[in-house]
Amino acid sequence: MKAAPFAYVRPATLDEAVSELVRADGGGKVIAGGQSLVPVLAMRLARPTTLVDINAVPELGELRADGGRLEVGATVRQRRIERAPEAASVPLLRMALPWVGHRELRSRGTVCGSLAHADPAAEIPAVASCLNAELDLVGPRGRRTVAAREFFAGAMATALEGEDVLAAVRFPTARPGDGFGFAEIARRHGDFALAGVAAHVRVAEDRVVFATLTAFGVSDRPVTREVADLLSLAAAAQDVPTELQGPLSSLAVEVVNTDGDVHASTEYRRRLFRTLAARELAKAYRRATESSQR
Amino acid sequence: MTSTETPREADETRLRPVRAAADEPVEVRLTVNGTPAVLNLPARVTLSDALRDHLGLTGTHVGCEHGVCGMCTVLVDGEAARACLLFACQLDGAEVVTVEGLGRPDDLHPLQQAFGRNHALQCGFCTPGFLLSSYDLLANKPDVTDDELPAELSGVICRCTGYRNILTAVAETHRAHPDGIPEPGNCARRALVGRSNGQSATVPEANKPVADTAAKTVDIKLPQGEPTVAVEITTDLDVPFDLVWRVLDDVHLLARCLPGAELTDDLGENAYAGRARVAVGPIKLSFNGFARIVEHDRDTGTLRVLAQGQDTGGAQTQADITLVARPTEQGTQLRADAAVYLTGRIAQFGRALAGDISRRMFEQFAEAVKEAATSGEAPQTPAGAPSALRLLLSTLLDRLRRIGRRKR
Repeated sequence: MKAAPFAYVRPATLDEAVSELVRADGGGKVIAGGQSLVPVLAMRLARPTTLVDINAVPELGELRADGGRLEVGATVRQRRIERAPEAASVPLLRMALPWVGHRELRSRGTVCGSLAHADPAAEIPAVASCLNAELDLVGPRGRRTVAAREFFAGAMATALEGEDVLAAVRFPTARPGDGFGFAEIARRHGDFALAGVAAHVRVAEDRVVFATLTAFGVSDRPVTREVADLLSLAAAAQDVPTELQGPLSSLAVEVVNTDGDVHASTEYRRRLFRTLAARELAKAYRRATESSQR
Repeated sequence: MTSTETPREADETRLRPVRAAADEPVEVRLTVNGTPAVLNLPARVTLSDALRDHLGLTGTHVGCEHGVCGMCTVLVDGEAARACLLFACQLDGAEVVTVEGLGRPDDLHPLQQAFGRNHALQCGFCTPGFLLSSYDLLANKPDVTDDELPAELSGVICRCTGYRNILTAVAETHRAHPDGIPEPGNCARRALVGRSNGQSATVPEANKPVADTAAKTVDIKLPQGEPTVAVEITTDLDVPFDLVWRVLDDVHLLARCLPGAELTDDLGENAYAGRARVAVGPIKLSFNGFARIVEHDRDTGTLRVLAQGQDTGGAQTQADITLVARPTEQGTQLRADAAVYLTGRIAQFGRALAGDISRRMFEQFAEAVKEAATSGEAPQTPAGAPSALRLLLSTLLDRLRRIGRRKR
């Protein structure tokens, strides 16, 4: 339960960090908070030859809100987002954070680290997918931006190449007419979700402009679907969540494709998805309607 | 709107660039429970191992070693974190608080008192983790409700399933301190040796060279607050004052009078590097450190020495020792006043026993001074550890006698 030996470098600039990864020739791994990486190293499931610690790069510690975007640098801790006033402009992220591990992990764990680790049952990748955040990847050939929905390639697989650093992520900030919902079921608070959903609904003039639903813990990556038509049909009903159950059942079969495990069968996960999605879509719709009338 | 928040704004604690080959030691400067510490550790050493194995702070427990159980929860820069999921070298400049810093044995933190009152510890293994996790919660989320406590404290597991009482203790402490939880009560600043011998996996414990020494690094600051042990011993020697002063005047001879101690280097400016070995039963400590003579006055017969040392296992000791020799009709009265501060392993075996042992050592010291004054030679137990058995036996005998006296 101890990590195998590794070379350790802590460069002062982002360019140096990339050079170190190039020099490590495939054996390098970036460490920021390390809350997902260190367990993997401790169990020796990974044995990188070099860890590149990016915590001494000042610009990666920046948190900025401007132009309708919240930009979160690679070393910004999750708990800082819970407190920072500028992060209130992304309510969905704030709703999701209390579900991310425990306080003791969020104090060190980073937002970008969770994205780069890309656990299929993790909350932050689902939020990024739901809002289609932009991710800035910096590598030997310079900087490129990847949309969150293109970033996740499978379980713990992303668009990051071995020599890339995920430098920042930009979330769109909420506007009047936006409403959000987030929920998950786990065996105990802080564990990875058996199933969870994030919902983003926009309403204008009492009409659903769009309704985005992202499921996590149910496939090898976050799954995002546009469900404005489902929601529009159910929106007039007395009891919106119950009205949504039927249409969401067929969506559940399509979206939930993870094999059952000791904690939950595929069928149980589909029921979780259907129930949570109905509940959170209805909440997001109600909140969107309220915020559009302000 | 832009904010760059690093928990450590000051330049001198800004993370320094590092390049280290596999298992090459990395220097890390930490403040642990208010005490600055410098360690040299391979990058793969976790904070939990650094605290336990290199600083002797074994209050932080280790369970799963992959961030699931919460036993190793400590405060890093004021927030709870899992010490097993942090490489110590990543924490250059950080402030760490462990359960040892939360309260003092004679002055426990309110949380510790509440845990005791409510039977919130059964086997005690998860207690340090729960204490630091709940401290973080009450310090950083003062508006937390009782209903939120189970989820908020879910980061630590209690295998005795003592959760009910733990929640009660935390809720009770929360209610008792509506204006905020009191700060950790045992984080007085103490100085350490200028540079510690952070042991790396490749260096055996024994025969380590004495730490880097130069007079300028010998900055001995005594901690604020009460010493762990205060010793005051007066001995009458049937030896003339002049002969006794001759021993006090010869620092090397004097050092050899202290059981198990020797000077290894003269650093100038009245500062010396030295070693001291103490053995009590199974406990064997080998201190490397410094001493500085701050007062040396024949007219008043006074010699005052400040000393500090660090054991390879992370025990630290500091002492402020004043020796006063006064001529009397029978010869010389030698009085030793010592304030001894202990941290790490040695602090754990109770004030009373540590006090008895320190006192016993000073009695042996006075005997040795007498012998040296008489013969002009250092006593015949040079630099060896004082006989552990003798120390322990005589200490225990003392205690038994006292108990016997009380019974009568």
